[in-house]
Amino acid sequence: MPMGHTATAEAGSEGLTVKEHRLDNGLRVVLSEDHLTPVAAVCLWYDVGSRHEVEGRTGLAHLFEHLMFQGSKQVSGNGHFELVQGAGGSLNGTTSWERTNYFETMPAHQLELALWLEADRMGSLLFALDQKNLDNQRDVVKNERRQRYDNVPYGTAFERIFRLAYPEGHPYRHTPIGSMEDLEAASLEDARQFFRTYYAPNNAVLSVVGDIDPEQTLAWIEKYFGSIPSYDGKPQPRDGGLPDVIGEQHREVVEEKVPARALMAAYRLPEDGTRACDAADLALAILGGGESSRLYNRLVRRDRTAVTAGFGLLRLAGAPSLAWMDVKTSGDVEVPVIEAAVDEELARFAAEGPTAEEMERAHAQLEREWLDRLGTVAGRADELCRFAVLFGDPKLALTAVDRVLDVTAEEVQEVAKARLRPDNRAVLVYEPVDDADDDATDDEAESAATDADATTDENEESAK
Amino acid sequence: MTELATMDFHPQPQAGEARPWAFPAPERGTLDNGLTVLRCHRPGQQVVAVEVLLDAPLDAEPAGLDGVATIMTRAFSEGTDKHSAEEFAAELERCGATLDSHADHPGVRLSLEVPVSRLGKALGLLADALRAPAFADSEVERLVANRLDEIPHETANPGRRAAKELSKQLFPADSRMSRPRQGTEETVASIDSAAVRAFYERHVRPATATAVIVGDLTGVDLDALLGDTLGAWTGSPAKPRTMPAVSADDTGRVVIVDRPGAVQTQLLIGRVGVDRHDRVWPAQVLGTYCLGGTLTSRLDRVLREEKGYTYGVRAFGQVLRSAPDGSGVSMLAISGSVDTPNTGPALDDLWTVLRTLAAEGLTDAERDVAVQNLVGVAPLKFETAAAVASTLADQVEQHLPDDYQSTLYRQLAATGTVEATAAVVSAFPVDRLVTVLVGDAAQIEEPVRALGIGEVTVVPAE
Repeated sequence: MPMGHTATAEAGSEGLTVKEHRLDNGLRVVLSEDHLTPVAAVCLWYDVGSRHEVEGRTGLAHLFEHLMFQGSKQVSGNGHFELVQGAGGSLNGTTSWERTNYFETMPAHQLELALWLEADRMGSLLFALDQKNLDNQRDVVKNERRQRYDNVPYGTAFERIFRLAYPEGHPYRHTPIGSMEDLEAASLEDARQFFRTYYAPNNAVLSVVGDIDPEQTLAWIEKYFGSIPSYDGKPQPRDGGLPDVIGEQHREVVEEKVPARALMAAYRLPEDGTRACDAADLALAILGGGESSRLYNRLVRRDRTAVTAGFGLLRLAGAPSLAWMDVKTSGDVEVPVIEAAVDEELARFAAEGPTAEEMERAHAQLEREWLDRLGTVAGRADELCRFAVLFGDPKLALTAVDRVLDVTAEEVQEVAKARLRPDNRAVLVYEPVDDADDDATDDEAESAATDADATTDENEESAK
Repeated sequence: MTELATMDFHPQPQAGEARPWAFPAPERGTLDNGLTVLRCHRPGQQVVAVEVLLDAPLDAEPAGLDGVATIMTRAFSEGTDKHSAEEFAAELERCGATLDSHADHPGVRLSLEVPVSRLGKALGLLADALRAPAFADSEVERLVANRLDEIPHETANPGRRAAKELSKQLFPADSRMSRPRQGTEETVASIDSAAVRAFYERHVRPATATAVIVGDLTGVDLDALLGDTLGAWTGSPAKPRTMPAVSADDTGRVVIVDRPGAVQTQLLIGRVGVDRHDRVWPAQVLGTYCLGGTLTSRLDRVLREEKGYTYGVRAFGQVLRSAPDGSGVSMLAISGSVDTPNTGPALDDLWTVLRTLAAEGLTDAERDVAVQNLVGVAPLKFETAAAVASTLADQVEQHLPDDYQSTLYRQLAATGTVEATAAVVSAFPVDRLVTVLVGDAAQIEEPVRALGIGEVTVVPAE
């Protein structure tokens, strides 16, 4: 039977239990039973993301994520996809600043296959990795970049705002998709070195959630992952710490062929995992979440100067989080009109704080978001990994909603006053021009804030 | 080579014993006001999904007022006899609820999701919206202006622009299906609150509506909740509605929507097909999956995993409108984007994939994997209440029996390789496909012309 130590805890909402375990090679395992539906979710978080990339190799973490689907010692070419889908499962991987995750949701009786597949690539990817795979997936990723960023209106806004909001040399300054030049430059040896450095069991957390037998599951995990050697040479990521406020307003005006003027802004916020970050989440919900928010009511309903107006929160643990505001103007309205209204609303909110009714609404919205996130086995598996990797304790996932509900109006006002100020933001303005210049970038009215991950595959087709 | 670190390898494990799962059967009933109700208890699903279908199809919009169904649909959440627009939005959010709605060819659909603890309150708001919408002049004006502002954003989006062009190409100009679902700048500008109210009074009534409610209903007295909410909605009796016949021109041809400087070409290659009443549907689902359902299907195996021309190309069939007698239509299409310099080679490969499929057929192995996936993913796919509600609502909207999805799974499992091949080959015949390319005409026109896949025309994007 498995070695190592096991801890069980009863935590959080709806009687969900979590069992934790660590294999001798350092792989952390989190198991959670739920027998309502005969499915099981497997989720594996590697503690590596774009913040670990070095200059000249942006996009390597994400490109590497693609290579993880190109076969390993016992799995041929596209075998990972073929075997999971052929077993009635679904799968994908995504890369962000702070982690790379891989996940399969399986009919419960096919769980062992997913574990075998994940172990095979964790332990033996380099048997299969070759120049042909690299060149092919490099082309795929470049087309992913074109499709999601370069060929849609406002598509590069997110990249631009990160360059404005984080200083030169900061590990979070570039986004996970990387640049075309760096993607072109990535070599087979870069990919191999990346695997050796980061894809070790002691740099990962594996969660399995659903209709499972925990003892049997742990035995399978021990069998398949237990002999994969750990690796101790992982370098410390560069420090992402920054002062609380930017100290001045950074600004860029983009003249491009876009359908409407836009005002976007990023504000520096407290790190994920802090009470102040939860307070900021509530503040942003009140100011810019949904169709009863202050910005929506002001700009879209009353002034009628905007088509869309909202705030999103990008939670980051190893660097300041970001508030992301996105306003697309209506008709011929000029940006300064919008900007003055936004500043007025933010200043009023900082001065007066939220009303009791606004707090109730924001709490209800965030509670609902957590119900959605924890409502599927895959969502729960991902959150357990998130809290284990970023904060050292998966059980925190089950009490996250309680911490949000505990935040007071005073704390919400305090974070708004301290952070949502003109000297703590990066502003990106779009001014439309008639002719496409050399660089036609663009996007739809939806906010990109919650969709910053780069993924390997789109949704699979369904039985329709 | 030391880099190949060692581990213990084990043979690929075998599947355990499958645990039974069935697509949930809803309970069907009718309220006193004629509203059809489908309910379905899903243990553990704390967020309840409610779908309401209204028999207000796009072809019922008056001439010159395309988009009035959309504006009406949006105006449902902009105030009632009890709440102003701002209050209504605030009350919904106070429930932790979301309410999405859209108008499409078969009718109008409202989708509410709310934690079960606040279901009663949210159902009350939904009922108010349907029963007594305010349709205030100033709110409708705002929605019209907002909709007009959205149109340029859609035109600038390659995927949206391609879809609009394909509809225009396939259907005759007098068919509602040829024109944008949410109207054009010209028609939307003509919409006012009187037009919205007239459309509402003519087409929205409980007797022709259906509500689907799915979630963990333990301890919920749904009859009482419905009685106080959707049950209090009144209206005149149902009038039968017929669907106009739909014709389409799928003569093989190419239309390039010119987008100078585009770094990719958006492809949308399509035609029309049968609806789900047709016996070929399960085989067509299976064959279409083998052609382009996923990254390991035939199209991506070449275009993505061998050539790297694309992030992904998909083939699909999507019902546009259905009728009880099976006279409905679906859109059969292949979509994706490829980089500009490789547009010609990518289309050439795509046609080769289709020709090879027609000449050689699917393999048994492909068919088996597709069946295992399409049928096997059911328990995952229908884990949430929203997914179940949406499929039940689709069935109602398409005049299919409540057990259609379960039947489909049985039929898929019983479909052979030969049938699947025949279905997909006749769904995607190489000489009957309308190819829309949104891209840089100066760079792609000549290479595409050289392929000989049909007459090529170039139209401006705006």
